[in-house]
Amino acid sequence: MSALILLTVFGIIVLYLGFANNKALLAPVAITGLVISMILSLKDWGLGSKYFHDMMIIDNFSIAFNVSMLIITILIFLFGINYYRRMEHHVAEQYALMIFALTGAFLMTSFSNLIMLFLGIEILSIPLYILAGGKKTSYRSNEASFKYFLLGSFATAFFLFGIALVYGASATFYLPEIKTYIAQFNGHLPPMVMLGLLFILIGVAFKVAVAPFHFWSPDVYEGSPTLVTAFMATVVKTAGFAAFYRLLGMGLLPLPAPLEKTLWVMTGLSLLVGNLAALNQSNFKRLLAYSAIVHTGFMMLAMLSQHDSSASVLLYYTFVYSLATVPLFIIFIHMKRASKGLEELSIFRGLYKQKPWMAVFMTILLMSLAGIPPTAGFLAKYRVFILSISRGYLAISIFAIVMAIIGIYYYFYVLREAFSESDNPNPIEISKLNAVLIVVCGVAVLLLGIFVFQIPI
Amino acid sequence: MILLIILLIPIITGLFLLVLRDPATVRIIALTSAIVNLLITLGLIISVPSASYSVNWDNFMGTQFSLGFDGISLIMLLLTNLLFPFIILSGFTRSHVQIPVLNFLILFTQSALIGVFLAQNAFLFYIFWELTLIPVYFILLLWGGENRRAITLKFFIYTLTGSLFLLFGIIFLFQLTPGLHTTDFSAFNQLHIAAHTQTWLFWVLFIAFAIKMPVFPFHTWQPSTYTMASKQGVMILAGVLTKMGIYGALRFLFPIVPQGVIYWQNTVIIMCLIGVVYASVIAFRQTNIKKLIAFSSMAHISLMAAAMFTLNYYSTQGLLFQVISHGVTIVALFYMVHLIQERTSTLELPHMGGLKLAAPNMAILLLIIVLGSIALPLTSGFVGEFLIIMGLAKLSIWFAVFGGTTMILGAVYMLYAYQRIMLGDKNPALAKVKDIRTLDYFILIPLIAIIIILGIFPQPILNLVEVSVNSMQKLLIPANEVVTLFVR
Repeated sequence: MSALILLTVFGIIVLYLGFANNKALLAPVAITGLVISMILSLKDWGLGSKYFHDMMIIDNFSIAFNVSMLIITILIFLFGINYYRRMEHHVAEQYALMIFALTGAFLMTSFSNLIMLFLGIEILSIPLYILAGGKKTSYRSNEASFKYFLLGSFATAFFLFGIALVYGASATFYLPEIKTYIAQFNGHLPPMVMLGLLFILIGVAFKVAVAPFHFWSPDVYEGSPTLVTAFMATVVKTAGFAAFYRLLGMGLLPLPAPLEKTLWVMTGLSLLVGNLAALNQSNFKRLLAYSAIVHTGFMMLAMLSQHDSSASVLLYYTFVYSLATVPLFIIFIHMKRASKGLEELSIFRGLYKQKPWMAVFMTILLMSLAGIPPTAGFLAKYRVFILSISRGYLAISIFAIVMAIIGIYYYFYVLREAFSESDNPNPIEISKLNAVLIVVCGVAVLLLGIFVFQIPI
Repeated sequence: MILLIILLIPIITGLFLLVLRDPATVRIIALTSAIVNLLITLGLIISVPSASYSVNWDNFMGTQFSLGFDGISLIMLLLTNLLFPFIILSGFTRSHVQIPVLNFLILFTQSALIGVFLAQNAFLFYIFWELTLIPVYFILLLWGGENRRAITLKFFIYTLTGSLFLLFGIIFLFQLTPGLHTTDFSAFNQLHIAAHTQTWLFWVLFIAFAIKMPVFPFHTWQPSTYTMASKQGVMILAGVLTKMGIYGALRFLFPIVPQGVIYWQNTVIIMCLIGVVYASVIAFRQTNIKKLIAFSSMAHISLMAAAMFTLNYYSTQGLLFQVISHGVTIVALFYMVHLIQERTSTLELPHMGGLKLAAPNMAILLLIIVLGSIALPLTSGFVGEFLIIMGLAKLSIWFAVFGGTTMILGAVYMLYAYQRIMLGDKNPALAKVKDIRTLDYFILIPLIAIIIILGIFPQPILNLVEVSVNSMQKLLIPANEVVTLFVR
C-alpha cells in the first residue's frame, strides 16, 4: 500500500517540478520514485495484506505484476530522457500522467471488489486518453486520442452496466461472495447475471484489445506518440491481463459454459485476426499493434488453461513480451528520425550496414516476439503450450502453433529489411544511454531464455 | 565433459573471431578449431566407449542439459566434424569483407549441429534443432545469390513449420510421462502410447524431419534454396543439415511411436520412392548444374528415407553408412560445381563443353566424384546403396526395383551432365579456363580419398553402427508382434 501512496506522491512531485523548467530533473526524480516504490512493493512479499474492508488485497500475485510493470515503466522513462529532449513544453505532464496511469494499474492488479477494478481501469485510462493526444499539433495524435476516448468510454459504460446487473442480482461487489453466489446455480445462471458477466468480460476484453474488441488498437497505436504507444502496448496490457486473471480466478471461475466458449472464440479470433491483418501491414507501428493482438491471444490461452502455474506463466509471458516490445519501439523511433518521419517497414533498410550491433539486437528482439529459441519469447510460448496441451486443449493448441508460424513471416519480413541494402542510407544517430539500454534488453531476453526460473505466485 | 568440449569449441572460437579484423588470421583460426574438433571426435570414437554430461536446467519443466551418444549420434558427429574443416577451407578463396562474421556463423552452425546430435533431452534437442536454422538463415540471406530474400524467407518458414509441429509433439509426450513430467529421451522411450494415438502422433513428429530431409511432397523449398545458396551455404545444407532430418526421425519415431511407424511404413516408403523417381527424372531435364545436383541429392536422400522405414538389418546399416558417404560426396560435388562456376562464370550446361581440354585435372577429379555419386563399385556410394536396395528387396521386390532407379537414372543424368561439361570439341569461350589450384587439391583429394577408402574398406563404419542397428532392430520386434496380433 505504501508503494501505491508513494507513487501518487511522486506523480504530484513530478507534476510540480514542471514549473521549475528544468527537464533534466524530471526523469531522475520519476525513476527514483519508481525504484523506491518497487522496493516498498517487494517488502510486502508474502504478507498478503488487506486494505479498505478487503476491497484491496495485495498478495504475491499483485506484487509480482506490479514489479514487472514498474521495471518496464523505468525502462520507458530511461528511453524518455532522450525522447523528450526535443519537446519544449509539458514534459513533466508526460511523466506524471504515466505515473498516474501506473497507480491505476496497481489497483487493477490488487482489487478484490468490482468497484475497485472499475476505479483502477478508469485511473489507468484517463491519463492514457491525454497521453495519446500528446502531440497537440499532430492530426493523427488528436485522432488517436479522440478515438481511444470514445471507444474507451463506451467500453467503460458496458463494464459499469455489467457490474450493476451483477450487483442487482447478487447484492454484492465483493468477488468471493459473487463466486459463492454463482456457484449455487450449478452453471445455469439467470439471464441477468449472465448478461452482467458478459458485459464485465467485454469491458475488460476491450482494455486488453482481444478480438473482436481490438479495432481501436491499431489506430490508437499508430497515432499516439511512439513512447506512449510503447507504454500502452506493454504496461497497459500487463495490467489488463492481471485484472482479467484476477477477475476470473477470484470470482468468476468456473465460468458457465456459454461464457467460456465465448472466451475461447475470442482467443482464436485474436490469433487469427491479428495475424491476418499483420501480414499486409506496411507501417511498423500498426504491425506491432496487430502483433500485440496475436500475443493477447497467446496470453488468453495461458489464462484460460487453468492450472496452478497459469499466473506465473502469464506473468512471464507479459514481462518477456514487454521487454522485447519496448526496445523495438525505440529502435523504430531512431529509424524514423533517420528517415525524416517515415513509418514504413522500408525505413529499416541498411540498418545492418550502418549499425551492425543494432541489427543483431533487433534480430534477438524480433526472434523473441516470434518465439524462436534460445530467446525468452520461445520459452514463454513453450510454457503456454505446456499448459494448454496438458489441460487437453489440443485443437486450439495446434491452431495457435499454426498462428505462431504465420507470425514468423512478418517478424522476419522486418528483419529481412534490416539486413538488406539501402539505396540512400540516412545516418542513424543514437545516444549512448539508448544504445546501452537496447543491449541490456537484448541480453536480458537471451538470458531469460536460457536460465529458466519460476516465480511462485 | 569431453562432449561439452566438443560442443563448445566451435562456438567459442566463433565468438572470438568476431573481435579479429585480419581475414587470413580469422580463416586460419577457424580452420584450426575445426581440425582440433575433428581430432577430438576421432579420439572419442576410437577410445571412449561412453561419455555423458548432464546438469540440471530447471526443476519444474523436466528439462535437463544432458549430452550423450550412441552409435547413430557418433556417425552424425563424425560426419559433421569431418565436413566442417573442408567447408571452412573452401572459404579461403573468396575475398569478402565480412570474413569474421561468415566464419562465426559457420562455426555457430557447427556447434548447434553437434548439440542436435548429442542432446539426450527432447527439449534440448529442439533448442539446438532451431538454433541451426538461425546462422544458416543469415548465411543464406547475406551471402546468397539471386532472389535470396524471398527464397530464404520461404526456406525459414517452411522448416520452422515442421519444427513447431515437432514442438507440439514434444509437449504432448512430455505431459504423458508419468510422475514428475520430463522431456528426457529415456523417459519418452518407455512410454506405452495407445496405438490410435501413435498413428496421428507419427505425422506430427515426422513432418519436421520430412521437411528437413526433404521427402517427396515436402521438398519444394529445396531446389531453389540450394541453387541460390553460396558455396559454403549449400555445402552445409546438403552435407549436414539434411542428415539432421534422418537423425531426428531415428531418434524420435522408432523408439517412441514404433506402432505408428509400422502402421505408416508402406505409405512412407512409397512416398520416398516417388521422390526417388521424380527427382531423378527432373534432374535429367535440368540445364543448370547446381539444380541438377540439388535434385540428385534429393533422390539419394529419398532412397535413404525409404531405407529408414524398411526396418531391417541391411537397410539400416546401409542407411547409416550412406549418411557419411552421401555427405562427403555431395560436399565434393557442390564444391566442384562452384569451382566450375568460378572458372567459367556460368552454371548452364548448354554454355559449357570441352572443358577437359583446358582443365584436364579438373576433369579427372570430377569424374571420380561423379562415379562415387552414381554408386560405382569400389566407391563408398556403392556399399551404402547396395545394402539399402538389398534391404528393400527383402521387403518387396518392387520397392527394390524402384529404389534401384536412383543408381540407373543417376548414372544417366550424371554421366550426361559430365559429358556436356567436360567432353566435346574445343570450346573457344572456355579455352582460357585455368585448371585447379593447390587449395582445391587440399579439399578435393581428401574427400575423394574418403570416398574410395570407404568403398574398399567399409568395415570400420559398419562396426561403429553395428550395436545401434541391433538395438534398433530389437526395439521394433515387439511392436511388430503387437501389430500382427492386432491384425489377426
